[in-house]
Amino acid sequence: MSPRRRGVTLRLGPHAVTLCLLLPALVAFVGLFCYPMLLTAVLSFRPEGAEAGWTLTNYAAFLTDPYGRRTMLLTLGLALGATAASVLLSVPLALVLREKLRGHRFFRLVILVPLVVPGLIAALGLLLFWGPRGWFNLAVTQWLPGVERPIGVNYTIHGLVLFYVWLYFPYTCVTTLAALESLDRGIEEAGEVVGATRWQVLRYIVLPLVKPGILAGSVLTFMAAFGAFSVPLIAGGNYRTLAVEIYKEISVPIPARWSAASAIAVVMGTMQVVALATYMRLVRRMGAR
Amino acid sequence: MSGMARAYGRGLWEERHVLGYTLLVSLTLFILAPFLMIALRSVGKGWFGKRWLPPELTLDWYRWAIEVGNIPEVMKNTLVIGVIAVLISTAIGIGAGWAFGRRRIPGKEVLLAVLLLPQMIPSITYALGVAKTFYALRLVDTHFGVALAHVSVCAPYAIMVLSATFERLDERVLEAASVCGAGALRSFVHVVLPLVMPGVLASMIFTFTHSYNEFTLTLLTYGPHTVTLPVRTYLAVGDGYWEITSAMAVLMVVPSLVILAVIQRRAQPEKLVGGFKGV
Repeated sequence: MSPRRRGVTLRLGPHAVTLCLLLPALVAFVGLFCYPMLLTAVLSFRPEGAEAGWTLTNYAAFLTDPYGRRTMLLTLGLALGATAASVLLSVPLALVLREKLRGHRFFRLVILVPLVVPGLIAALGLLLFWGPRGWFNLAVTQWLPGVERPIGVNYTIHGLVLFYVWLYFPYTCVTTLAALESLDRGIEEAGEVVGATRWQVLRYIVLPLVKPGILAGSVLTFMAAFGAFSVPLIAGGNYRTLAVEIYKEISVPIPARWSAASAIAVVMGTMQVVALATYMRLVRRMGAR
Repeated sequence: MSGMARAYGRGLWEERHVLGYTLLVSLTLFILAPFLMIALRSVGKGWFGKRWLPPELTLDWYRWAIEVGNIPEVMKNTLVIGVIAVLISTAIGIGAGWAFGRRRIPGKEVLLAVLLLPQMIPSITYALGVAKTFYALRLVDTHFGVALAHVSVCAPYAIMVLSATFERLDERVLEAASVCGAGALRSFVHVVLPLVMPGVLASMIFTFTHSYNEFTLTLLTYGPHTVTLPVRTYLAVGDGYWEITSAMAVLMVVPSLVILAVIQRRAQPEKLVGGFKGV
């Protein structure tokens, strides 16, 4: 009963053509993303090393372990800290860049550098720069009175936040700048005309108007910081985030603990989705006000 | 008190250009100094203790990196994997991009958002499943396997860039071509191709950079025969020879910076932010 046998050439309907065009993308999406995710979810419920059977021990082991809870808190805390610091850095920076000072094109390019450089190399450079023999500590010990010993930055919590800011603030900064530049300067002038000080114009006119841009950018920074892998892997030292913990489970023990790693991956994915949903709700509420 | 604060504020406002430049220059140092340190460390000799600059310059570390780190082989792997990943991603992107850019699809926005999901979710969460699957299929430690793993992150970029490219293609130009008597093939070669070529190239550059820099997925699917530059650098960091690692890093980062220059000239940075990855 095929069309060909009835002497009619095969004619595909418009939807069939669309489907054919989309097919490779769908196959890749299912094969390289959906199926692996599903496999991870299934593995997380299997007893370690077993092909069959269902268990919750992998989750129980990770979630009841104080170390596991600390890892979750650390990952969340680092991401939130880096996001807050990125906003604090990006807003003044965007306000300055908006003024189109001489050479602003160069500075705009500089801001994009962390986005295109591999995280691995960034981590290496940051470790060298902030290390005990790096330029930061040379400057501090030679020029700051009262500082005799190098300040520890590498492999500390504040160091990790600093590295995360270096890597992920551009998301916040670029969107903030875009929001600021789409702002009508006339509104600010109107504020000044009715007698508002510059601070009041900034606080009550500019910031509320660019808030959606800042928040949208900070979501991107948060997501990137939460999922960071190469930087905490190299520069984290004893502080292991969830992503690093997943990798350690399959690379350190022999045989590899795939089920334990999968359980942590599911926890991480769930936390990311929950955090994102909460953040979005918060953003919407703040935006509505 | 408030008068003093106001005077202080006015003083700051008058010096705003100085303040602005201070902020910008410190930020530039903050961002670029690490690279300068990598570059100097890679050519410095006997750089110990409290010195700002290396006392002697040498290219030995590069020689070591190339010989001991087996960089030519690693570079070949990286390029082969990159090219395979680009070819597959571009093929996927052209089909899906045409469908999204030029055809009616029910629920288009949602479907596109779903297909772009791999960009939003930390790759370690699905890299685990990819690795497990590839072990079963014996794809681990093959160029094709590693490239295929890269496709999961690269394809969304290709889809994003190419659907935007095809969407911009003007219907009237195609009509004009057919009115002037061009057949389907002729109008494709002489009209469509030149118009979409910049977009296709941009998509290829994007996907290649992502494959070139991809670390997480490579780390979980590589083997002794498919060590790529990022993995080699990571292994070198573990060995603890900072000078050799720095030399490798320089060899690896130069192409990224060239690509940054290209992107800055050709695309808007805000669009770049749309696709991100916590890697």
